[in-house]
Amino acid sequence: MSSYIAQGLFAGLIYSMVALGYTLVYGVLRLINFAHSEVLMSGGFAGYFFLHYLMKNNNEPTLTRILLFLGALIASGVVGAVVAMLVERFAYRPLRRRNAPKLTYLISAIGASYFLLNFAGKEFGRNPISPPSPISNTFQWNVLGTSISLFDVVLLVVTLVLYFFVNVLVNKSKVGRSIRAVAQDQETATLMGVNVNSTIAATFAIGGFMGGIAGLFIGLSSVVDFNMGFTPALLAFTAAVLGGIGNIRGAMVGGVVLGICMYVPIYWINQPFYEPVIGFSILVLVLLVRPTGLFGESLGRSA
Amino acid sequence: MSDDITRTKFNREDARLASTCVAGGLLLALMTGPAGTADAPLSSAKTSLFSGHVWGFLAFGIALAVVSVWRRKVRNGEWVSRRESPRRSPSVFVGNVMGAMSNAWWIVAFVVTFLVALLVADLTGPYVPNKLSFGQLFTQLQDSRTYGYIVFLWWIVNSIRLRRSRAARHGVLPAFTRSAVFRVLAGGVGGFLFALGADPWLPEKFSFSYFTFHNNSTTAFLSHLPTWLWTGCGLLLGVRAVLADRNKSTHSNRLRARQFKMSSNTRVALYGVALFAAFEAPKFLSPFWQEAIFQQIGIFCFLAIGLNIVVGFAGLLDLGYVAFYALGAYVNAYFSGALPIRPPFILNPFLSIPVAIVVAMAAGVLLGLPTLRLRGDYLAIVTLGFGEIVYVLANNLQNITGGANGSGTIGNFSLNIPGIRFTLDGQAISQDLNFYYLLLAFMIPILIIFTSLNNSKVGRSWAAIREDEVAAASLGINGLKYKVMAFAIGASTSGVAGVLASVKQGILFPSNFALQVSITVLVLVIFGGMGSITGVLIGSAVIGWLLQFLLFHSFIDYQDADKYMYIGALLILAMIFRPQGLWPATRRAREFHDAEIGLGTADAVGEPAEGPLA
Repeated sequence: MSSYIAQGLFAGLIYSMVALGYTLVYGVLRLINFAHSEVLMSGGFAGYFFLHYLMKNNNEPTLTRILLFLGALIASGVVGAVVAMLVERFAYRPLRRRNAPKLTYLISAIGASYFLLNFAGKEFGRNPISPPSPISNTFQWNVLGTSISLFDVVLLVVTLVLYFFVNVLVNKSKVGRSIRAVAQDQETATLMGVNVNSTIAATFAIGGFMGGIAGLFIGLSSVVDFNMGFTPALLAFTAAVLGGIGNIRGAMVGGVVLGICMYVPIYWINQPFYEPVIGFSILVLVLLVRPTGLFGESLGRSA
Repeated sequence: MSDDITRTKFNREDARLASTCVAGGLLLALMTGPAGTADAPLSSAKTSLFSGHVWGFLAFGIALAVVSVWRRKVRNGEWVSRRESPRRSPSVFVGNVMGAMSNAWWIVAFVVTFLVALLVADLTGPYVPNKLSFGQLFTQLQDSRTYGYIVFLWWIVNSIRLRRSRAARHGVLPAFTRSAVFRVLAGGVGGFLFALGADPWLPEKFSFSYFTFHNNSTTAFLSHLPTWLWTGCGLLLGVRAVLADRNKSTHSNRLRARQFKMSSNTRVALYGVALFAAFEAPKFLSPFWQEAIFQQIGIFCFLAIGLNIVVGFAGLLDLGYVAFYALGAYVNAYFSGALPIRPPFILNPFLSIPVAIVVAMAAGVLLGLPTLRLRGDYLAIVTLGFGEIVYVLANNLQNITGGANGSGTIGNFSLNIPGIRFTLDGQAISQDLNFYYLLLAFMIPILIIFTSLNNSKVGRSWAAIREDEVAAASLGINGLKYKVMAFAIGASTSGVAGVLASVKQGILFPSNFALQVSITVLVLVIFGGMGSITGVLIGSAVIGWLLQFLLFHSFIDYQDADKYMYIGALLILAMIFRPQGLWPATRRAREFHDAEIGLGTADAVGEPAEGPLA
């Protein structure tokens, strides 16, 4: 039982990182960014190529491993951010300039997602590949009857650090102030001298950075694959809704809560493929019972 | 706009004019030049490509370019001393005949891309095995047909642009272009030219030898039917333009073109012709077109008509459309005893259709009711999730669906009432035509029902909700009810399609119901024209042809799975450049236009009238 909770917790941390991308974009544009799953995928591939070409064997010294890991982290984060910004540039901005109806944004984002997905499938092959992991799996600790690996600890630390920085970035920095301003009222923000286009691009970049890193972690824990972003992104959206879409802390907590809620029933059902089914049922349930999520919807107001 | 342009010495408009003229010359040259065949690219005929009359036409094009630019300059008074009142050119005949067109930067971009591609190919070619190899691309481009396509598209696009910019500046087009004969002829010629390239089965491209049909039998003539259909489309477009012009109003040009209405006689006649073609044409078509219709267009067209209700009529986005298709297919599999769990009684597929309708509709209502109370975009992601769930379950529930190994063999359609005998052995290739007729038999009543639905109170309510949900609510229209209704109707259509497809496939595999199907169907609806049934049919035909064409020609290492890449790109481009689709419904096109200038929403994706959390 406790091992299922731990599993859920660590999966939930990844979801919460992805959920941040949805929440930020939703807060600013009031749109679900369907292309976010491909941000994960591109982060995963960036991490894969970084490690594949630089990590010579599995016996690297500890310092090299740490450097490799940090490098992969930055590579996948940056690639994720760049992909997210490209999506914004090509699938969103031309429509925004024209003041297009909302439906067209959703469709063009789906198109972008689909293009990226199959482009990756064509370029990198359609078979799953697994990157060499710089995180040794020899370290295991027994905590409360469940074994926790070094990978889990690293994941926890990275997520918390990133969340801390994003919180500071959105709540304290100048970019964050303009993000919140645009989320509240785009026109007024423009009048106050906020550059709306670059603010939106920055929002995508922050979400994309987190998404790319989440992609790296997914790749390290399982495989990298052109289709890898789809299910985690769907669940991460559920997490964002669960926490209250548009709410940064909500995304964090929502991810963890969702992860635990999803894994614990597996303890009884004992059929791992039910995870997405449970996650999705949670989404419908949340929409039915409490559509504002646990913490309410508010990027502009409190965040 | 024209002010800042005309100040430069050789501006974009001049470049457009010149390049169009050259393109026209080149097009003539290609059309009359040596034939490149599908199997033998021009490389063999290279020596004769740039010889004789080809040079003549090219020179003609260039001369035309020089003359027309010069005339333009003189007319605008830029190349002589400025006059008080610029002399009006007696006619801008030359520029218009060639449809003076294109954007200089477009051509420059094309040439530069091409050169860069060649350079990259030289540099990286050997190191990128089996990838997008530009060497292969170049070989493809050597095919005269591809040249023909590029030049022709360039020519036609620019002709249209030129007409538009001229019309914008002078208010009217030169007299002769307004004449009905010119327009109809131009449309017909355009359609015919396109067909020359579009039907890859024609043995010789861009060659007048095309006119001598090789086997002098009627079937050979009919096997070129697509060519005549394209020509017909072109003629119709010409007629449409003429009628549109007669029906001038204060609206902008683009909207004006949408305002003419055919007389009901014409309409009925057209439907009759279409019906006749739908029944007779597939028998005589070339194998390329038969395969396109049976494999790429048939069932997808059916699905698209159903999705059009959701996306086009109600303005919602449904990304899990394939889930209902899967439900229908598995219901049929269950009742024909093909699944590991046994049904209480075996049903003929004809009888499992009503069951499939009920199941799919119930699933649609259950999914739609909680979601549609909220923002419409939640529906998109919930349906996306639902599609994935159905796929995961079909894949993993070994003892219910048979899992990834597929189901057992599914029963066939059979009908044996006095007077009508019909059996269909779904798996056999020879049954393709019979299956097609079965599809038609379902499609025609559905088309009639959906058209009248759209013209009824329900359809008007959908339009009202799309345009302004608050206003609709204030008139007493229950938004939730009509949205759920649209969603459920779409779902049940998909369920019927699932039953039909399951019989054709014979064995169900979960991979038949992946997300790709939903997206492909969405593209058909979007590309053809949201909310217009004719548009959706046209969209299905064009995309079906495109996919078959890609498959048939296997361009640059094309695999079947790659089509989804092109489909994704097409979705973005469609949304940026033509969100209303190729042949939109009049009202839908106007909604998009209005939404962009801030009137109404053109979709039901925003918050419902009762507020976000009602």
